Amino acid sequence: MSDWNSMSDEAFREIARKFIVDNYPGHLRYPSKRLRWNEVRPWYLAQSHAGWIAPAWPVEYGGMGLAPGKLIIWVEEQENYGVGRAPDHGITMVGPTLIRIGTEGQKKYYLPRILSGEHVWAQGYSEPSAGSDLASLRTEAILSGDHWVVNGQKIWSTLAQDATHLYILVRTDKSAKKQEGITFLLVDAKSPGITIRPIMTIAGDDKFCEIFFDNVRVPRENVVGEVNKGWTVAKTQLGFERIFLGSPKLPQYALSRLEAMATAAGAFQDDVFADKYVQLKLDVADLNALYSRYIAILRRGDSLPADVSILKIWATETYSRIASLMIEMAGSAGSIEGITRIGDIEEDVLTHFYYARPATIYGGSNEIQRNVIAQHTLSLPR
Amino acid sequence: MESKTISHETSAAEEQLRLLRESARAFAKRELSPRRYRELRSLPVPFESRLWKALAELGWTGLMLPEAYGGSGLGVVESTTVMEELGRFLLPEPLVAGAFFAGSLITEGDNEELKKRLLPSLCAGKLIPSVASQESLQARGPIGCQAENSGSGATLSGRKRFVRPCSGADGFVVCATTSAGLGLYWVTPDSPGLSISHERSADGGDAGVLALDKVKIEPSSVLASPRLGQAAFDKAFDYALLAASAELVGLMRGALDMTLAYLRTRVQFGKPIGSFQALQHRAVDLYVQQELSAAAVAEVAAQFDAEHGMSAVQRAAGASRVKARCSDAALLITREAIQMHGAMGFTDECDIGLYLKRALVLSGWLGNSREHRARYLATTGIGAGPQ
Repeated sequence: MSDWNSMSDEAFREIARKFIVDNYPGHLRYPSKRLRWNEVRPWYLAQSHAGWIAPAWPVEYGGMGLAPGKLIIWVEEQENYGVGRAPDHGITMVGPTLIRIGTEGQKKYYLPRILSGEHVWAQGYSEPSAGSDLASLRTEAILSGDHWVVNGQKIWSTLAQDATHLYILVRTDKSAKKQEGITFLLVDAKSPGITIRPIMTIAGDDKFCEIFFDNVRVPRENVVGEVNKGWTVAKTQLGFERIFLGSPKLPQYALSRLEAMATAAGAFQDDVFADKYVQLKLDVADLNALYSRYIAILRRGDSLPADVSILKIWATETYSRIASLMIEMAGSAGSIEGITRIGDIEEDVLTHFYYARPATIYGGSNEIQRNVIAQHTLSLPR
Repeated sequence: MESKTISHETSAAEEQLRLLRESARAFAKRELSPRRYRELRSLPVPFESRLWKALAELGWTGLMLPEAYGGSGLGVVESTTVMEELGRFLLPEPLVAGAFFAGSLITEGDNEELKKRLLPSLCAGKLIPSVASQESLQARGPIGCQAENSGSGATLSGRKRFVRPCSGADGFVVCATTSAGLGLYWVTPDSPGLSISHERSADGGDAGVLALDKVKIEPSSVLASPRLGQAAFDKAFDYALLAASAELVGLMRGALDMTLAYLRTRVQFGKPIGSFQALQHRAVDLYVQQELSAAAVAEVAAQFDAEHGMSAVQRAAGASRVKARCSDAALLITREAIQMHGAMGFTDECDIGLYLKRALVLSGWLGNSREHRARYLATTGIGAGPQ
C-alpha cells in the first residue's frame, strides 16, 4: 500500500501517467461515443486489480484515499490521455453514499463488488414527468411484509442496459410535502418485473434508457438512510464531482478539431470566421482560468461554493458555440452524417453538434443552474 | 521540507496582496464615489492633484517603478489588484495612463538622465505623464508622425489623437517613426511648435489632439534609442492593458452590484423585479462574464510576474486576450445594467450611466475587443498554416 498523499505531485503524476499508458487500451483513446461495459471492462478490471479503481474512497474500504489535489491530477492525466469514461456510478455515487450512511451489511455486501466490477450501477432518478422538477417523481414503493413493491417508470438512465444494479428514488409517502416522501432504494436489475429499454437519440446512439417497474419486489433492507429521507441523500451525493461538469477538456478538444478543419478548409482567410474563432479560443482560455480558480479551492481542502456551476454553464455553452461554428464553417459538409471530407482531412462534423445538445440539459439544466446562482450567489429574491 | 518552504513563502505573498487589496478598498470607499466623479466631469481638468498626491503617498503612482527611482518595484499582480478596487468606485485620476503606461514606458527607455528627472517626481505625485502614440482609429495603427535627426536630438512633425490624459498632463511620451525604428520622446505642453486641442470623451474627460509642427527635441528628452523603442513601447503597452482591464473588472463589479441592489428592491406587479426569472438568468450571465474577466486578469497577471517571465509574443497574446474579454464584458454588463434600471437608467441623474460611459471609454482606450482579437490572432499565428 503506497502513501500516495505524501508523494510529491510530480511523482504521483508520473506514476498515474505510466499506469494509464500501460493499462488503457490504445484503440479506446478519445472515443467519439460513450463506451459500453464490454468495451471498457478490461480497463475497469486493470484499475481494480491495481487498487486504483476507487481513488477517492477511504483506504479502509479499499480505496486510495487520495486528497483532492492528487485526485485532480488523476483526473487530469486521464483527460490528457483521452481515457473514456467507464460506468462509474458505483464508484462515484453509490460507494461514497454507502460509506457515509449505509448499514454495515450494505457496506460489506456492495462495496467489494463495486470494486471488483462484479456490480455495475445505473441511476434511476428522472421520470417522464419529473425532469428538472425531480422532487415531483411518482414511481412508488409500498411496503408489503419484508419487501417494497415498486411500480413506475424511470428515464434517462445512462447505460442502464449494462447495469447489474440500480439506485433509485421512489415515493414512499404520498401525503407528505413532495421532498419529504422520497426514499433511496437499491435494486437488483435482474429482479422480476424490471424492463430496461434503450432510447435511440438524435446522435444515433442508445446510451440512455428507460426503465419500467411492474410490481418489482425489493428487500426491505435495501433502503439507504432513513425511509422518506431519500431527497437529502440524493442532494448530498454530488460533492466535488460537480466541478468536472465544467471541465474545459471537451470544449478544448472540440476547438482543436475546429482549428484543424478550418485550416484544412482555408477558412482562416475569411476575417469573419477568424474573429469568431478567436472569440471561442478566448472563451476556452478564460474558462481554463476560471476552472483553475475552483481547482485551487479544492486543493486548499475547502468546499466548493454554490457558484461553481458557472463553470458548467460556460463550458457547455462554449462547447455548443464551437460545435455550431464547426458546421457553419463546414458549409455543405455540415449536413453529412458520420465521417466526411474537409479539405485534406476526414472528420465527423456533426458529432460535437449532437453531443452539445444534452450537455446543456443534463447534470441540472443550465436554466436550473441559473436559478440556483441567482438565488444563492446573487441573493435575488424568489 | 522544500515544498513547505515554498507554500510558506506563497502564503506570505498572499498575505501582502490581501493587505494591499484591503488598503485599496478602504481608500476607494473613503475617497471615490459616483458623486465625486459626477462633480469632476465638467471641469477642464477632470481630476484632482490632491488625490493624485494621495495615491502617490500610498506608493501607487510608483507601484511598478524601480526602487532606485523611488518606486515600489512591484509587479502586475499588484497593479491589477489596486486597479480592480479603485475601478469599482470610479477613478477619474489617470493612474493607469500616467503610472502604469507612461511610467513604465519611461522606465523601459534607456535615457538615464531623463529617468532621474521624471520618475522620482512621478513616484512623489508631482508629475502626471501621458502617452501620445495613437493616430488612426486603432490603438496600434500605423505611426505617421516623423522624427528627423537634428544633432543628437530630433525634430517631430505629425498629429496624435485620443491622448488621455491631456488637460492636466505635465508632458507626453510621443511615438514617432525614425529611419532606425520607433522613436520615443518626452514633450512638454509648452514646447514651441506643439498645439493642443481637445475632443470630449463620453465619460466627461478629454481626449487630446496634438499637432506637432517641427517640435525640437533636445538630446536630454530622447526617451529611448529607436532600436529598442518598439520593444519598450510594447512592454509598457501590455502592462497598461492589464491594468486597464483590471480597472474594467472593478467597474463591472460596481455596476453589477448596483444593478443587483436595484433588482432586489424595485417592486412592480407586487414583487421585486429581481424575482423574475427572465431577469435572474440575465443577471447570472453578467456574473459569469464578470468572473471570467477577473479570472483571466488574475491568471495573465501572475504569468507576467512569474520568475522566468514571458516572451514578448506570449505577453502580447495574454494582454490582448484579457483586454478583449474585459472590454466586451464591461460593455455588456453596463448596457444590461441600464436596461434593468428601466427608464431611470437612461437619466443623467442615475449613477449607472456613469459606469456605462466609463466602460465605453476604457473599452475603447488602448484598443477595443475587435482590435485585440485581431492582435491575438496575428501574434499567435493561428490559422497561418504551414509556411
